[in-house]
Amino acid sequence: MKTLNIIPILIGALLLLVHSLLANDERYMEAMQKNIQAVYTASSMEDLQNSVNTLERIAAAEKTKWEPYYYASFGYIMMANREQEGGKKDIYLDQAIAAIEKAKAINANESEIVALEGFAHMIRVTVDPATRGPQYAGLAMQTFGKASTLNPENPRALALLAQMQYGTAKFFGSPTTEACGTLITALEKFDTYKSENPLSPQWGREMALGLKKECN
Amino acid sequence: MKTLFTILSLFVFLAGFAQTKISGKVIDGKGKAVPGTNVFLLDTYDGTSSDADGSFQFSTAEVGKKMLVATFVGYKDFQQEITLGNKVIEVSITLEETINELEAVTITAGSFTAGDASRRTVLKAVDIATTAGATADISGALNTLPGTQKVGETGRLFVRGGDSNETRTFIDGMVVLDAYSTSAPNTPSRGRFLPFMFKGTSFSTGGYSAEYGQALSSALVLESKDKAESTRTDIGILSVGGDVAHTQAWDRGSVAAKIQYTNIRPYFGFIGQEIDWKTPPASMEGVGVFRQQVGKDGLFKFYGNFNHSNFSLYNHSINDFNVKYLYELTNNYGYLNGFYENVLNEKWNVRGGLSYTSIQNDAWVESDNIQETEKGIHAKTVFEGSLSDKIELKTGAEIIQRSYTQNFDLRTGSDYALGFDELIASGFAEADVYTSNKFVTRVGARLEYNNLIHKVSVDPRISLAYKTGASSQVSLAYGKFRQSAKNDLVRVNHHLASEQAEHFILNYQLVENDRTFRIETFYKRYNHLVKYGNGNPLELNNAGEGYAKGVELFWRDNRSIKNADYWVSYSYLDTERDYLNFPHKAIPTFASAHNFSFVYKHFVQRMKSQLGFTYSYTTGRPYNDPNMERFNGGKTPYYSDLSMNIAYLPKPYLIFYFSCTNLLGRDNIFGYEYSPIPDAAGVYNSRAIRQAAPRFVFVGIFITLSKNKSVNQLPSL
Repeated sequence: MKTLNIIPILIGALLLLVHSLLANDERYMEAMQKNIQAVYTASSMEDLQNSVNTLERIAAAEKTKWEPYYYASFGYIMMANREQEGGKKDIYLDQAIAAIEKAKAINANESEIVALEGFAHMIRVTVDPATRGPQYAGLAMQTFGKASTLNPENPRALALLAQMQYGTAKFFGSPTTEACGTLITALEKFDTYKSENPLSPQWGREMALGLKKECN
Repeated sequence: MKTLFTILSLFVFLAGFAQTKISGKVIDGKGKAVPGTNVFLLDTYDGTSSDADGSFQFSTAEVGKKMLVATFVGYKDFQQEITLGNKVIEVSITLEETINELEAVTITAGSFTAGDASRRTVLKAVDIATTAGATADISGALNTLPGTQKVGETGRLFVRGGDSNETRTFIDGMVVLDAYSTSAPNTPSRGRFLPFMFKGTSFSTGGYSAEYGQALSSALVLESKDKAESTRTDIGILSVGGDVAHTQAWDRGSVAAKIQYTNIRPYFGFIGQEIDWKTPPASMEGVGVFRQQVGKDGLFKFYGNFNHSNFSLYNHSINDFNVKYLYELTNNYGYLNGFYENVLNEKWNVRGGLSYTSIQNDAWVESDNIQETEKGIHAKTVFEGSLSDKIELKTGAEIIQRSYTQNFDLRTGSDYALGFDELIASGFAEADVYTSNKFVTRVGARLEYNNLIHKVSVDPRISLAYKTGASSQVSLAYGKFRQSAKNDLVRVNHHLASEQAEHFILNYQLVENDRTFRIETFYKRYNHLVKYGNGNPLELNNAGEGYAKGVELFWRDNRSIKNADYWVSYSYLDTERDYLNFPHKAIPTFASAHNFSFVYKHFVQRMKSQLGFTYSYTTGRPYNDPNMERFNGGKTPYYSDLSMNIAYLPKPYLIFYFSCTNLLGRDNIFGYEYSPIPDAAGVYNSRAIRQAAPRFVFVGIFITLSKNKSVNQLPSL
């Protein structure tokens, strides 16, 4: 019998190893893209919970990636938004913030994470506007400001800021010119901003367009 | 190559074969399914969420020993090691509840908490500040809660048959020796601390924690705000004066300073007063606040308050109005409070503080001068942590040292001085044992050593709470409390024992859908109260005693009326005590049997205003008529007051504020003063103790200048 040629086996093993590593990266990308789509398009609380759970699993397995925590948090914020009962809203927002903290621990200066944190504070106000307003509205605006400082091109930080400014102006009966001005800049950035990260957030344009209708 | 191909395909084949199916059901401690649970293999993507009936199923290509994990909010993470390799693995998962803030039962007997940190509080921090008739005075707002007595001529808190000194105020755990501003006799004083400073208020009407002592009836625990959020300048222009404050905030800290000048004279010019003022009250106050976050989780807070106030008035003789005595009072007050807290490790926190109070009263009665000085130092450290996930422990030690002197400089007769130094060293420990999210027991004890009387005492405190439903609970509290007698008594007899009280409280509370219902009943037993021996105020002993019992109801509704919030409180009190100059047990003059309050607040969007009304009613209070045989036999007419306030916000940073007490103009009488000498016919003449003015009208304009134009002073009004 011909002796087993070791080199092909080694190459094969190497190929298998490289394949599995690439496969891991591929698997990560595939899983992320599938679940990001799922949080964007989820139509029920159950769907959101499923996607959030999957993203938490990916985050825990990967350990060095902030994006899974980011989208899990986004999912929790969507759940908080849908939830009617104040106490339960707070629970989802607590989980959203916990996920944001984990994302920040991995990447402290990512503008998208900070903008999302502001979004959580914004939803926090809706639980009890009279009590929460003074503390969380200011905190939300400050956080959006911080996100814009980290990345002036971030359209989401600007769109959320515009929402907050609009809501405050409506509450006090003040003119909405500042809010609408911020909104126009936000819409411009939605068109011009392109991130290098294939998993970067894409949401927010619809929300901004919705607000634009109120402005004119 | 063919061999290679075979080997590779063998790997693939084997890999395909090694799929394991993991399935099962997730239930909680009661056997109920938990849908949406995240069930997965640690460090892999493999997993799934449980269905509506708790069942789950997923496949994995992993091999060997792996950790199966199940997580869901409100429960402890479930972990079980499983060995993969078989085709099918069945796992039944039971999740154990964590003691979490939102679900857990809390001890509510005898306590009202206001704050944003705990989401199931009965009051919000902003409620304290926006109650009509309270004019941003904490005691004023708390006076609309059950368990308090309306004693309008003093403006202080009287709780459940206790005198006003039986309620103690604490800021960040540190005692405040004099929480009220000085006032003329029979005119209301105001609290020294404004609601805007605090993020949390816990007002107990009995049975309070072992951490606090030296208060027979109640502890008012105030938690000051952490770092300020933004840099701002606040200006207040008031009908009685003005103030300017500036706050500078940076990333991890903030500093604020405020100067306030109050002078009632221009106001008195407009509105007639019952009191014959020579110099109406004027005061100058400076406040400084510094906060800095230290390290990862630490916080350092410093608060300083200085106040200088002065007034003089004429006291007219009851028998002959033309005979009058000049009374003048100057008060200098200083309070410094330093506080520190930090996280020691995952399970333990530490906090501590040091406070210094200096009070100087310089009074003149005609040509007699009485100078009173009290200085106190308080040092305290507390450790808080978890012994396990079901047991929380709080333990600490503190020292309070007080020096009191009173100098009498008399025109006729010899000068003399009285005083004393008292040191109280205490330690306490208190554990909260959560048997489940539904049942908690709090056990604690407080040890005190008083060096003036050389006595060591141990006082137990026990309370429990049981959740009867999703939003309702029953709570029980028992405790022994002690307090040194008042300064004016201890200065005469340094060996007076502490006065003591024992509380028994039972409470039921239901909080659901923005509505709160609360009913509470209590029994208090007082002993060792200070009495005048043989009716002589210089012969003091601890032979006095008393009791207080009653029932209280509270209803709050934030939802029925849109944009409106109201609460109703009713207290019934049956109390008698034998103390001071009482010849026998009698109802004290500050106690009224029925106390009723209705508070209503409404935000009118169109008018950009917040409107508030408060109506208070109490049945008559006893008073002593020397013309009558029976001691404290007189009864005043009932007390009734309707107050209102409006806060108008034309711009986010500008507020116009108007408030008026006693809209109906009722002549409320709090009691009667009697002349010490009878007139020619042998009758003791009297004078009614009335409100200082038929109404108190207050107008204010509040401006906030900051980069963020939506910041304003509304939360602090």
